[in-house]
Amino acid sequence: MSHDGNSGESPPASRRRRSRPPQAQERAAEEEAAEEEAAEEEAAGERLRQLSVGDGDDREHNRMIRSQYRQLISTVQQNREAMLNSRSNRLTEALEEANRLFDGVCRAREAALDAHFLVIASNIGKEKASELHSEMSAFDSTAFAEDLLTFMGINRTEVEETDESEDVPGGFLPTDAWQTIGEEAPKYFRRAPTFHYMMGSFKSEPPVPKQRIERQKKASRGKAERAMPAQLKKMEESHQEATEKEVERILRILQTHFEDDPNTPISFFDFVIDPNSFARTVENVFHVSFLTRDGLAKIKLDEDKLPVIEPIKPSEGGEEDSRAAARNQVVISLNQKEWKEIIETFQIREAMITPPYQATEEEMETE
Amino acid sequence: MSQRKRSKGLGCSQLLDGEDDSIPTQVERRSQEQLNQKVSELVQFLLVKDQKKIPIKRADILKNIIREYRDAYSEIIRRADRTLQEVFGLQLVEIDAKRHIYILINNLPCAEGEQLCRDKEKEKMGLLLVILSFIFMKGNSVKDSALWEFLHLLRVYPGKQHSVFGDVRKLVAEEFVRQKYLETTAIPLTDPPEFKYQWGPRAEKETSKKDVLNFVAKMQGKDPKFWASQYSEANKATT
Repeated sequence: MSHDGNSGESPPASRRRRSRPPQAQERAAEEEAAEEEAAEEEAAGERLRQLSVGDGDDREHNRMIRSQYRQLISTVQQNREAMLNSRSNRLTEALEEANRLFDGVCRAREAALDAHFLVIASNIGKEKASELHSEMSAFDSTAFAEDLLTFMGINRTEVEETDESEDVPGGFLPTDAWQTIGEEAPKYFRRAPTFHYMMGSFKSEPPVPKQRIERQKKASRGKAERAMPAQLKKMEESHQEATEKEVERILRILQTHFEDDPNTPISFFDFVIDPNSFARTVENVFHVSFLTRDGLAKIKLDEDKLPVIEPIKPSEGGEEDSRAAARNQVVISLNQKEWKEIIETFQIREAMITPPYQATEEEMETE
Repeated sequence: MSQRKRSKGLGCSQLLDGEDDSIPTQVERRSQEQLNQKVSELVQFLLVKDQKKIPIKRADILKNIIREYRDAYSEIIRRADRTLQEVFGLQLVEIDAKRHIYILINNLPCAEGEQLCRDKEKEKMGLLLVILSFIFMKGNSVKDSALWEFLHLLRVYPGKQHSVFGDVRKLVAEEFVRQKYLETTAIPLTDPPEFKYQWGPRAEKETSKKDVLNFVAKMQGKDPKFWASQYSEANKATT
């Protein structure tokens, strides 16, 4: 790519300037463009004559031109509104400034910036032209706005305090202002009325499954609770009744035997030991201990230092004896070896305390 | 055979009444009852979809209603349009022939004293009418900034919450545009980018330049002919 502008042809940017921007058809804009073109052609002619620039010397110069171009472009873009104002000449001034800058352009790089500026300027020119067109039958939007406000029922006698008081005409706008216009507007539209169900529409599934789950949980819990008390009651009854019944039965047996022989206490071992079962012997001792605890029987040692047991009659000066008896605590230990020895020594053939399930038969036999 | 090819090439809007008898066998394959069922479904679908005034896409119609009856699409659409006109006084209009988008409009002239819209809708229509008038009178295209400058005079500000309209910027730039009442395009080579507003296709169908000019004339208490170029443009459009 050649960097110097030392070609025999005129730079491309000025060639473009000669062709008119396609949309600028209005007379005023045409005149402006025509004037600029004339000026441009002169300048281009001069530049052609002055072509004799060397590359290296003007690096600083080119940089300055570029920065000036950029500044011009940003100025134009930021002040777009001001340029569009039909009364201002600012666009023309900007174009003239660009012309002046272009005098110093000799390389494609700066020329490209110039082209960029040209595009922007021509856009603004097009807008200016189109504004000229629409103002042929001038439409005063400010007057239109005021008439609208009047229609909406503005009260101009009362002045409302507003921050933006410059552009807004004073006056109090009622709250139904837009409703007033709203009454008028539908007449101008062929708008389809919207379709709505009279009773509204229904929503999708309510959370029914959740309720069912909750109910099931509650039902199962209830049953479990109900099951518990029944079982507990049964167990408690069996425990208490068994022990108490057994103790009573043993007391009866003791009393029965004692009636036969009122003044002879029964040998303790004879009474409790069951030669057929060690376990039942232990049970018998256990039950007999209740009797002695409750003061229904007493155990004492006879002349041979062997324990004997006899029932206590309630009337028999029991207070002192029972107190004395109650103060003694005895722990009897009995293992199987001793149990067997006692059976042999005392020649115990049968149990005096009959086992519970044989009770009725035995009692009948003894009688 | 040639008839079949012809109907496939046509868009839905081009099937005429005269072709009823000569419709090819693919339609006859479906029973009249099945077709009528689909037509009823489509009518209901269109009525409900129109509630928000957002145009209805052909793709939605095909997916939700037509489904396997794709081959009879144009016939169903045509019959639905006829039902809408004869029963409801509405019309099904295709506003975009390329992307196939439809709207419903009212076929009947608006009678005096009718209360067909709710208050909220009426107020929005008031604002819309004002905007459309402004755009037309200003040469069919206005810049975003110019429009807001005008609304400023009516105490409507883009940055401020309005007592009636709420977020006005959203209403104008999004809702009206989505409903196709307004169309917004970017102005090239502007930095920061600027937009311009024009009438949207729905506005073109639901109202006319003549009606809007009459509105302006009524507000300003002048004859419509006062604005010569706008008047000639409005009359040109209707003829």
